[in-house]
Amino acid sequence: MQQPFVFMMGQYEAQMPADRMYSKRHLWLQSCGTDVYRVGFTAYSVRLLQDVYFLEWSVDEGALVRDRQEIGEVESAKAVSSMFPPSAGRILRFNPELLRDPSGINADNYGTGWLYEFRPDGELLTAEQYLEHLRTAWEEAQRTIKGQMNEG
Amino acid sequence: MSASTTGTLTVVISQAQGRNPTKRRLEEELAQALLAEPGISVTLVPHLYDMSQNHSGLQFLREVRGDLLVLGWLYERAIRWTLDRAGVRGRLAETLLRAADEADEDDDEDESADERHAAGGIGSVDVPDRALWCIDFRASEKCQDFVNEIRRMRDAGAAAEVAGFDLLSWISGNPSAEQLQRYLQPERLLEARRNFDGGAASLEDRAVLPEDTGRRWYPVIDYSRCTNCMECIDFCLFGVYGVDALDRILVEQQDNCKKGCPACSRVCPANAIIFPHHKTAAIAGAEGEVSGLKIDLTKLFGGDEGESAIEMAVKERDRELILDGRDAVGMSVGIRQRHREQMDQLLADLDALQF
Repeated sequence: MQQPFVFMMGQYEAQMPADRMYSKRHLWLQSCGTDVYRVGFTAYSVRLLQDVYFLEWSVDEGALVRDRQEIGEVESAKAVSSMFPPSAGRILRFNPELLRDPSGINADNYGTGWLYEFRPDGELLTAEQYLEHLRTAWEEAQRTIKGQMNEG
Repeated sequence: MSASTTGTLTVVISQAQGRNPTKRRLEEELAQALLAEPGISVTLVPHLYDMSQNHSGLQFLREVRGDLLVLGWLYERAIRWTLDRAGVRGRLAETLLRAADEADEDDDEDESADERHAAGGIGSVDVPDRALWCIDFRASEKCQDFVNEIRRMRDAGAAAEVAGFDLLSWISGNPSAEQLQRYLQPERLLEARRNFDGGAASLEDRAVLPEDTGRRWYPVIDYSRCTNCMECIDFCLFGVYGVDALDRILVEQQDNCKKGCPACSRVCPANAIIFPHHKTAAIAGAEGEVSGLKIDLTKLFGGDEGESAIEMAVKERDRELILDGRDAVGMSVGIRQRHREQMDQLLADLDALQF
């Protein structure tokens, strides 16, 4: 199996497995059937969020969603965020385990901590392309976080 | 029945949605601890926000006489005004146990939130002379903290003469005693809930458990802030709002509300509209007007930022209109001139920031 790609977030090594696709929304997508992908947070997202303790979906299973449509929210001890789909598409099913206990996201974000099954209708990124995107995104992330800290 | 109805302080635990084990444990631990406390009757109801107006849990709350404490997984304001909407009222008494973020904000303020907003707020009506406390369960992870605070409340309210429940109205069958009986048997309720969560509920257990509740989404009005300006009723195009016999604004058709849409809360000039499950603390009912306690990563995950509240509200409303198969209206409906000017100013300010 190919070695995962690594993106350095400061001292932290965020690993990106090479066996799947990615989205600019910091999500991975792994094929699990014809046109169906499991979607989860990348190590980059999880590192920013840290310990997730609240996860809620605002759309129903089976919903058609647009790109950049808010589909739910996630909250951790330090952060809160709306969630967006990797692209336009259809959300088929949420991970029932996470509905009971969202800490699976932290325990195994590339495996059992998957978020939902999705039929995308849009472009996905390869691991290399995602890594390229991260180089600019990380700069922006640091600015955003510092900006909010200073306001607070 | 009578033995358990004579507590000086009635403590009602409004349970979390879902089956979060950490939350369940705290709820159960607290209920168990309070069962052994003199002068306290404790019981559990489903999540306050999710119960319909005729749910037995709300009917039970309406029957409670004397001092009342309601604990729930919501901000205190959200608990208090959800109760108010259900006709469960009292003189709001001060809670010393508060979530850290709320307590911090209060340090700067000598007055309570109510007093701060009382100037323009139309207030509640028909408030009975008894103490009402609301506690956000997120205030502590330690059961003992809650027990200590509840003892303090019990001792403070010891002078209350009327306590227990309105048994007469029960006997007359409205609501029926059987429906409410379950709430007088907290131990049995706990046992049934445990069996249910463990997947081993018997028919008897199911009969004891309250009616199922689904997740809901609707606005809750804080009348200590609401000035009855009617901007919300002008803005919402889904028929959620109405007025009562006294011409006071009212959430009339709560289930017409569009899940996830907090737009009316954003246009409310008094910050009086609470959506208890919105991710922004200020909209969910935290004290104060601005959130910002946590880092908002929304922009990094693909969302927009740098919009005024009105702009966001218009966008949210348009989205729901389109999903309903109607036409988007943008800024053309229900926006007052004052807001338009404010928005121009905000946008200018944002441009100046060059974030």
